[in-house]
Amino acid sequence: MTEPVGELRLGTDTGFSGRINYHFESLSAELEQFFRVENLTKTFGRRKVLSDVTFDIHEAEVLGLIGPNGAGKTTLFECVAGLIPAVGSITYRTRHLEQSERKRALFYFADGITPWPEQRVSWVLRFFRSLYSQSTRRLDELINKLKLTELLNSRLATLSKGERKRVMLALGLLTPQPLLLLDEPFDGLDLRQTRDVMSLLREERVAGKTLMLSIHQLVDAEKVCDRVVLLNNGTTVAEGDFTKLRVQANLSEGGLEEIFLALT
Amino acid sequence: MRLRSFWLLLTKDCRELAASRAFWLMLIFVGLLVGQGFTTAVRLYSEMSGGGDGPAALPQGLTPLDGIIVPTWGAYDLAATLLFPFVAIRLVSAEKESGALKLLLQFPGSLLTKLGAKGLALLLGWLVAWLPGLAAIVLWKSYGGHVNGPETVNLLFGHLLRGMLAGGFAVAAASIAESAASAAIVTLGFTVGTWALDFVSAGRGGLLQQIAGYTPTAALRTFEHGLLQSNTVAVMLVVTLAGFVLAAIWLHPGRTARARAGWTSVLVLLLMVLSIGGSKLRTSWDKSENHRNSFSNADEQLLKTINSPLKITVYLSPEDPRLMDYEQNVLRKLRRVLPNLQVEYAAGSQTGLFENAADHYGEIWYEINGQKSMDRSTIEEVVLDQIYALSNINVPERQQSDFPGYPLSVQPAHAPILFYLAWPLLVVVFWWVFRH
Repeated sequence: MTEPVGELRLGTDTGFSGRINYHFESLSAELEQFFRVENLTKTFGRRKVLSDVTFDIHEAEVLGLIGPNGAGKTTLFECVAGLIPAVGSITYRTRHLEQSERKRALFYFADGITPWPEQRVSWVLRFFRSLYSQSTRRLDELINKLKLTELLNSRLATLSKGERKRVMLALGLLTPQPLLLLDEPFDGLDLRQTRDVMSLLREERVAGKTLMLSIHQLVDAEKVCDRVVLLNNGTTVAEGDFTKLRVQANLSEGGLEEIFLALT
Repeated sequence: MRLRSFWLLLTKDCRELAASRAFWLMLIFVGLLVGQGFTTAVRLYSEMSGGGDGPAALPQGLTPLDGIIVPTWGAYDLAATLLFPFVAIRLVSAEKESGALKLLLQFPGSLLTKLGAKGLALLLGWLVAWLPGLAAIVLWKSYGGHVNGPETVNLLFGHLLRGMLAGGFAVAAASIAESAASAAIVTLGFTVGTWALDFVSAGRGGLLQQIAGYTPTAALRTFEHGLLQSNTVAVMLVVTLAGFVLAAIWLHPGRTARARAGWTSVLVLLLMVLSIGGSKLRTSWDKSENHRNSFSNADEQLLKTINSPLKITVYLSPEDPRLMDYEQNVLRKLRRVLPNLQVEYAAGSQTGLFENAADHYGEIWYEINGQKSMDRSTIEEVVLDQIYALSNINVPERQQSDFPGYPLSVQPAHAPILFYLAWPLLVVVFWWVFRH
């Protein structure tokens, strides 16, 4: 891989924020070589839950992982994060990542967890901020965007599902790894909260963060994802943006629901 | 891992410890147990010292270590067995059950370092639980009681190791078991197992007795006798560390069952090698004020000149009080001085009640360089004279012990209020402050 020719920083006064590393000759290759999951296979006893799952994750995109219940989405995330053993390869910028190395390149936030339930939200947020050396400004920004101010003094155990989900999202966005895997980030959120979170995730993407979201609501996936990976019965059915998937599904028009039904 | 990350993890684990009701309950119960031990010990000590117009025991027999400190701090042996493991289990199991473990595994640093932070948090928690015990010592001093620094510090060191051993085992059990309840059963099973080993191996000699010498209760006993043995310390530290390493092997769900089994086998092998190596360490220090673990200087110098192996055959059953006397007054001291000592326990029964004369019951045989002699006495001087006679060494001039003894007739004033009222109240107030 070639070194970046330069870096273009965009200030907030331009209406954009974030940075673009430009590589001219190898931009396309770079996109392809960000993360690659190859032939990932996982069995529990005799049951094969994932079978040769292969897909790419491009830099600074929102990739959706779509599939029916039991398709293996959570297992796939846990395998990619190295939390459960699996056969297959994960590469980051063409370099193979051993299981122990993955936490340097990606962070996975599981669905339905309530870590340290007796602690207050403010402390857990500050703990993550300090652990990953993030600025107070960054934390305040997330607190504002996710409307957590009123929850700061509450214990995690006392939060509703939606409130907890927003706190977990803030924790996830405080991690500095280039890739963040979020399992069902909209589950438990109401319509307005879902829209706000989607907007925030898009902002994070613009700022350079790569996100992979496991989503079972296809409407949500369509709104927030740049590309999707369709998983069914532990195998990759399709991967790509919506135009590509429509072609693959022989559909001239239609949304993700139609594509999903046609391909699974 | 950077020191800052470690500090943050330690802070997290301390907060989690303080958030657990098990910890606060342990603090309350420890205070009550210490209070009960202390008040009973002070009253008994007072009686022995001639309080209540009763006859006093010989002053030389009255040592605050045996009379006050050990029975008071016995509460911590109970706490390390029945309370502290549950606090340690909770620290690991809560993270497993809440899903926090999935985040913890992705934090910077190795899993062993993260478990190290937990170990340190548990150590701090254990030290906080010492407050009633330390208050008891201060209270005893305030009554005018005597406290010998080295032997007391040695005992506290023993309780520190005992607590960490319990913590290490509990953390390992919590990491391996699916739930906190299973981990608790495993931990209690281990404790009962060591008690059984202690009981079964008493007075039997051989490998079983050697192993039993390192059970938590037996190991603590050496500190209670004022003895600091390098082999006991080494084995306790190695086993504690092994508990945390075992936890690191099993806690990570990303390891295959085969990898876990393989690493566990390597650890067990390493543990055996290190424990056997540690048990071979011979250096020990008698920290007791009355030098109960040592012969007189003159005797020790002479005994060190005996290079030939000494074989002692004891025809006393494990439950015979004479064997206990002989173990405590003679064998324990001989083992410290004579590297080539071999002891054989030859009694054929458990109680000795139905042995007959033909079985040599009650005899103790000494053998050096093929020369043998027999005696029935378990008195230190008589035994030493036997050994000197077999080694052709003249009996040295012996001096009387200069240990004065510390009789004190006093009532445990303020102790019930402190331990039964003030301490529980203080714990509840701190718990409330932390919660709010």
